[in-house]
Amino acid sequence: MSSRLPPAALSLKQFLQRQKVLAVYRNMFRTIRQVPDEADRKYLRDWAREEFKRNKNATNQDVIRMMISQASNHLEELQKSLALAKS
Amino acid sequence: MAARVLQQCVRSLARPSLRLFPVNLALRAAVAPAVTVHRPFSFAADSRRMRWLGQSRISSVELLCRQYGDLPPLTLETIKDRVMYVLKLYDKVNPEKIQATSHFMKDLGLDSLDQVEIIMAMEDEFGFEIPDAEAEKLMTPEEIVQYIADKKDVYE
Repeated sequence: MSSRLPPAALSLKQFLQRQKVLAVYRNMFRTIRQVPDEADRKYLRDWAREEFKRNKNATNQDVIRMMISQASNHLEELQKSLALAKS
Repeated sequence: MAARVLQQCVRSLARPSLRLFPVNLALRAAVAPAVTVHRPFSFAADSRRMRWLGQSRISSVELLCRQYGDLPPLTLETIKDRVMYVLKLYDKVNPEKIQATSHFMKDLGLDSLDQVEIIMAMEDEFGFEIPDAEAEKLMTPEEIVQYIADKKDVYE
């Protein structure tokens, strides 16, 4: 039976990875919102955008997985520093 | 029954006397909502004051009312204007090319990361969070307006 999916459709794993990337991106922005200084916020937003856009065209799943975990680590660090700064 | 009479006294007392008896505010605040305890002492004091006021006949426009703060009510028009305004501020879109039905990816050439940023800007503008699953489906300004109207119960 031939596949009726369009050629550009992602496999399930790729689809899930894409969702993870977008989720990390979204959480990053939500965390950046909590930074007190506006200039810092802008700098962090531009940094996040740059990083994600630079690696937009990666296709190797393992590489993408590594980048996702790197981004999550950055995100955790940011959240921890914010929590420290607030207390 | 005495409580009801007390309430009526206070209501008629409150209208002209909003400025004259600031001390009376505590009594009014206590009596204006439902009264369960009636105090005969204050009732007597009230009727005395009411008789005195009846002679002075001060008319006042102020009514006993509570003031609350709230945002102006949302209408489909205002939501649409705000959505378009936020979109025009976004640096990656060409402000002239945006229409209500322009698709972010097909017409405006944005990608999914930009779409995430746009939805976050909408969250900031309207002050409530849009969950991931629903956010990734919003691909035109029209859909965003519909979604917000849905969530905020705006009908027309």
